[in-house]
Amino acid sequence: METTEILNELNRIFNRVLKVENIILSDETTAQDVDGWTSLTNMILINEIEKQFNVRFTFRDIMKLKSVGDICSAIQNKMK
Amino acid sequence: MTKSIKREIITDIYEAFGKYKKNKAFVINDITYTYGQLANAVYSISTQICNRQDDIIGIVAENRLETYASILAVLLCGKTYVILHPSYPEDRNKNIAKQAGVNSLLHTEDAQNFPLDNVLERICTTELRQSIPPVAYLPQDNQKNAYIIFTSGSTGEPKGVPISRENLNAFYHAYHKLGWQLSETDRMLQMFELTFDVSVVSLLYPLTLGACIYTVPVEGIKYLNVIDILEKYEITFAAVAPSLLQLVRPYFSEIQFPKLKYLIVTAEASNAELLSAFKSCAPNAAFVNLYGPTEGTIYCTSYFIPPTGCKHHNGMVAIGKPFDGISIQLMADDDTPVLAGECGELWISGQQVMKGYWNDPEKSGACLAQWKDGKTYYKTGDLCKIDAEGDIIYYGRKDYQVKVQGFRIELSEIEYVARQFFDGKTGTVVTARQIENQGCELHLFVEDTHFNSTELHEYISKKLPYYMIPKQIHKIEHFPLNNSNKTDRKKLLDLIK
Repeated sequence: METTEILNELNRIFNRVLKVENIILSDETTAQDVDGWTSLTNMILINEIEKQFNVRFTFRDIMKLKSVGDICSAIQNKMK
Repeated sequence: MTKSIKREIITDIYEAFGKYKKNKAFVINDITYTYGQLANAVYSISTQICNRQDDIIGIVAENRLETYASILAVLLCGKTYVILHPSYPEDRNKNIAKQAGVNSLLHTEDAQNFPLDNVLERICTTELRQSIPPVAYLPQDNQKNAYIIFTSGSTGEPKGVPISRENLNAFYHAYHKLGWQLSETDRMLQMFELTFDVSVVSLLYPLTLGACIYTVPVEGIKYLNVIDILEKYEITFAAVAPSLLQLVRPYFSEIQFPKLKYLIVTAEASNAELLSAFKSCAPNAAFVNLYGPTEGTIYCTSYFIPPTGCKHHNGMVAIGKPFDGISIQLMADDDTPVLAGECGELWISGQQVMKGYWNDPEKSGACLAQWKDGKTYYKTGDLCKIDAEGDIIYYGRKDYQVKVQGFRIELSEIEYVARQFFDGKTGTVVTARQIENQGCELHLFVEDTHFNSTELHEYISKKLPYYMIPKQIHKIEHFPLNNSNKTDRKKLLDLIK
């Protein structure tokens, strides 16, 4: 799957979970840039991403996800 | 009779500055700072504030060495600190600064623009760095306040809890007597917001030992940062809120902390089943439940959880025995002691207990009471029983006991039964909503969205009398937390308004 395709899908998930409409994610986006991306919502986001892309992250994987770019490449690796 | 205080926490930290000069004092964002470096920062801040007229100093909550040095400098100078938090609304910080009479604010260069227009002087602590000869420390007047912590008042106006040096030292004495096997080689976690009083012990106590404190980065996702630090630095002593463990529960099988010697659970009632599941992640750790209201200085009871047979009520872990120097009473609604073995409101007395809320005699009068033994007690609002072995068993907040159709109900009991439906693995909260002229309506919140509500309803109906059956079941993916990492019950109720 193309990075832009993944990014678009992530945008939809983030907007839905965080109940906002104007988030525009890029590779560099981190939790500091997005209001409401916290300990709590991170778990929900991970669950939604796993469902949407049909992948499964271990706790090790999740610990390494520091930015949206990390999430994109993790999804790509898992889907290979 | 007042017992003489044997320990003075600031004296011990001051001595550690000299004794452990080369030891690591802090690891902050992967950068190590020694006791020597910490002492230098403390001395240079002290020279700025010791001779000031004002006694109450504001500190912006940041995760910088200078922030922690500011707290120590204020205490070294015999003054009082008040924490202001960048994540608080501006109005709340203003309100706190105004109430406390904060005229000077300590901050780093990262918080130059901290919005607080009613403060007269700002001191940027990161611009002071220079070699300063040690500032002499003389033990200070015990009646002076060490800090004032502002907690949410029921009216929305933050109320100040002033903790004197006498309170803090009485706490230190009793906490030390718990017999921790800790030394200068230990690595200790500090994960709490500085606006929450558990941060005080997490920062000060390691510094009396020459041990190293690991703080949690502000950047990133907090619970992941905490787990990362516990693992990477092989932390030996960690005080955490149980909700943190609940968040990583699905991944317990991947988590291992073999070096952890002590796991402290605090800040809210711990779930016995959750702790027992976590045991495999920290096989060498002693688990300790520490309980206490801010008004009684951080903690005032302790329960060292045995490997098997953890005492609990409705899944909530027992809070154990009072600290040395703390007297307790269990009181009925008419302010008389309950009979042995009965449930009553926990009242605490001793040198750890505050003298009264900040500039609020009315609220102070409502929660402090002189009992006929001549002692002043603080009414905790927590319901407890004392078992045959003298352990205090926690029964929940007094406000969680509600009357529905004339029946007295313990909300925690419904939560416990609902949790059993999920084999104890899911968070459950019951709140009572007051409906005008119709009394109370029970709402059950479940931290899960993939279950059949009808089945849960049937399950509860088989276990509990009709008046305890929640009117509605709400599926919530994750419970909201407040600033102290406790499940925010008010916010949950707001979700269904």
